[in-house]
Amino acid sequence: MRKVFAILRREFVERVRTRWFWVGTILGPLLMVGIIGFQILLSTKKGGERHIAIVDATTTEFGRRLVTQLAVAVPRIHMRRVIPNPRTDSLLLDEVEAKQLDGFLLVGDSTLDFGAAEYRGSNVSSVVDMQELEGALRRLIFAARLERHGIDTLLVKQAQIPIRLATNKVSGRKLTGVSGGQSFGVGFGMAIILFVAILMYGVNVMSSVLEEKSTRVVEVLVSSLRPFQLMVGKVVGAGAVGLVQLTVWLGSAKLLSGLRWRPADAAGGVGFQFPSIPTATLVVFVVYFLLGYFLYAAIYAAVGAMSSTEAEARQAQVPVQLLMMIPYISFFALLNDPNSSLAVWMTLIPFWSPIAAPVRYGATRIPPVELAASIAMLVAAVLLVTWMAARIYRVGILMTGKRPSFKEIVRWVRAG
Amino acid sequence: MNSVILTADRVVKRFAGHTAVDRLSLTVPKGVIFGLLGPNGAGKTTMIRMIMNVIVPDEGTVRLFDAPGTARDFSARIGFLPEERGLYPKMRVLDVLLFLAETRGVDRRSARVKALQWLERLGLADWRMRKVSDLSKGMQQKVQFISTVLHEPDLVILDEPFSGLDPVNAQVIRDTILAWARTGRTVLFSTHIMEHAEQICDHVCIIARGQKRVDGTLSEVKRLHGGRHLSVAFDGANGGAAQVFGDRRLVAKVEDFGQYAELELTPTADAQEILKALVASGARLSKFELVAPSLHKIFIDLVGADAAHADARPEVARA
Repeated sequence: MRKVFAILRREFVERVRTRWFWVGTILGPLLMVGIIGFQILLSTKKGGERHIAIVDATTTEFGRRLVTQLAVAVPRIHMRRVIPNPRTDSLLLDEVEAKQLDGFLLVGDSTLDFGAAEYRGSNVSSVVDMQELEGALRRLIFAARLERHGIDTLLVKQAQIPIRLATNKVSGRKLTGVSGGQSFGVGFGMAIILFVAILMYGVNVMSSVLEEKSTRVVEVLVSSLRPFQLMVGKVVGAGAVGLVQLTVWLGSAKLLSGLRWRPADAAGGVGFQFPSIPTATLVVFVVYFLLGYFLYAAIYAAVGAMSSTEAEARQAQVPVQLLMMIPYISFFALLNDPNSSLAVWMTLIPFWSPIAAPVRYGATRIPPVELAASIAMLVAAVLLVTWMAARIYRVGILMTGKRPSFKEIVRWVRAG
Repeated sequence: MNSVILTADRVVKRFAGHTAVDRLSLTVPKGVIFGLLGPNGAGKTTMIRMIMNVIVPDEGTVRLFDAPGTARDFSARIGFLPEERGLYPKMRVLDVLLFLAETRGVDRRSARVKALQWLERLGLADWRMRKVSDLSKGMQQKVQFISTVLHEPDLVILDEPFSGLDPVNAQVIRDTILAWARTGRTVLFSTHIMEHAEQICDHVCIIARGQKRVDGTLSEVKRLHGGRHLSVAFDGANGGAAQVFGDRRLVAKVEDFGQYAELELTPTADAQEILKALVASGARLSKFELVAPSLHKIFIDLVGADAAHADARPEVARA
């Protein structure tokens, strides 16, 4: 037991000492803070000052009114009215080219009648500018059309009050206060973290096995430890590193959980809220991470043992990675319909449940029986796979030369 | 009578149709330096791996410390230096030593004290916090040697401990092995370089193509297998010496250099008869000396043909 601890300790200490561990550990929370900061920045930023010209080809007063009203609706866009003549187009284009003008809006009688208007400018790709311009235009034209038919302006204003659909996740007969967007965010974040963490730490185990094999340290080690002890120490040691890193990540996510931010002028920006993450979700997440990690780490240990070079191992682990990618790439479907039969199956099948189950749990409520069945099957798979991997590992680590065939590996597993 | 540390009884290991070790029996008494000698591909490493239980013999048994159990059960009492040496390249020297001592059951605190002493003794103290990959090959071998003896095992098994070492470092390791053995511990090492074996071995076993050729104390082997050798030099006239050397009843082999000759006597020959015959033939002798053959010569005589054969065969995959 003390020897297993020595293996575990080395695996842990050597990994924690690497620069990559610290970069990864600190980068996780920084990334989260960064995303929030970016969102806040996006919602505060209303775009800079813009200068546009409105080419008024209307024969009514509509064009003049439009200019005054637009100036009130979107104050950051400065407007000047231009009466078209044959040279207007080329003059305006020159101004746009010289960056004196961002663009120009062409309106005519058909704008009011058929809703036709055209904007030409250098900032057409700015979604914020175009949305604001289009929105203001739409409201003004809508109001103008109604007024044309003698409807009271005040009534029109009231009719234009927008609708806001609030979403609220229901779980266990309770309103969680989690919106649809946040649910999606939590699910998406968990899928990424689980996939990356399980893959990364699994591959760590694989390269550690390979290192010992290629340096022949393993020969000294197996002369004092049983291969199984060696493998267990390695897997648990690398897993402990992963757990520490995840704890830092999840801890910072929990600290940020439910963090709300609204711009000072509530009317303007959209505001931002970091999804609140219930503790139960975190627990489910950690349980599935650990079990999923043990499942895949054992496979990766076996892959490392049956390979001789890093390149060979990288090739051999592709099927394992593909297996893990199935729940990852189907997480959209999982979130879209978390109670579909696909989602249920993915929760139950051990190779997929480590990623699928927490994602689904984050989106909906998994019946306790189903959750228990999923965990039980995963535990059984971990035991079975570890047993098989240990047998491959035992033979593989002392094997050099060509990669064993599938038949040979089956023989290693079957041999007492 | 010394007790026995290691016995191997008719051990056989076959790989893909070729027998790497063929009914090899060894007896290693306590407190000796035992040399397992043989050309490349003779089965030395395979034998050592079977002793260490890294691979399992197809037939035969290995018994350590005259007790049941495998090398793993005695891991605290055995130090093992494998042939293709390797340490963790990215670990610090001291950390590697502590880790390997820990896997042999030594607690970290006492391992640290001993590791620092050893590093000091082998001139590596300044390198203790450096990464293994920063060290030269010779220094890495010294570190590995320390890891083999750090837990103060009763039996040290070294597979080609001198390979790749420069003469100075080889000397350091050789002296360390000798000093180690003087404390009553047992050393088993393999080599294909007879000069190394001749300098430190008490007991040798020469194998070729997996089979034992000679086994015994160094002096026994020399006496029984070297034959008797005569070194003769002339002072000017050598008279009818060529005729005397040609006498097959007395001389088995001759290397005649004119003013100097080396003879191997037949088992029944009496050196005095040769001396008489030489004097009678009118030769003027400046030197007439009975010499012991070198281990190297015995080795070449015994396995020469095989050695050439073995070198031509590709290294067999070790499983």
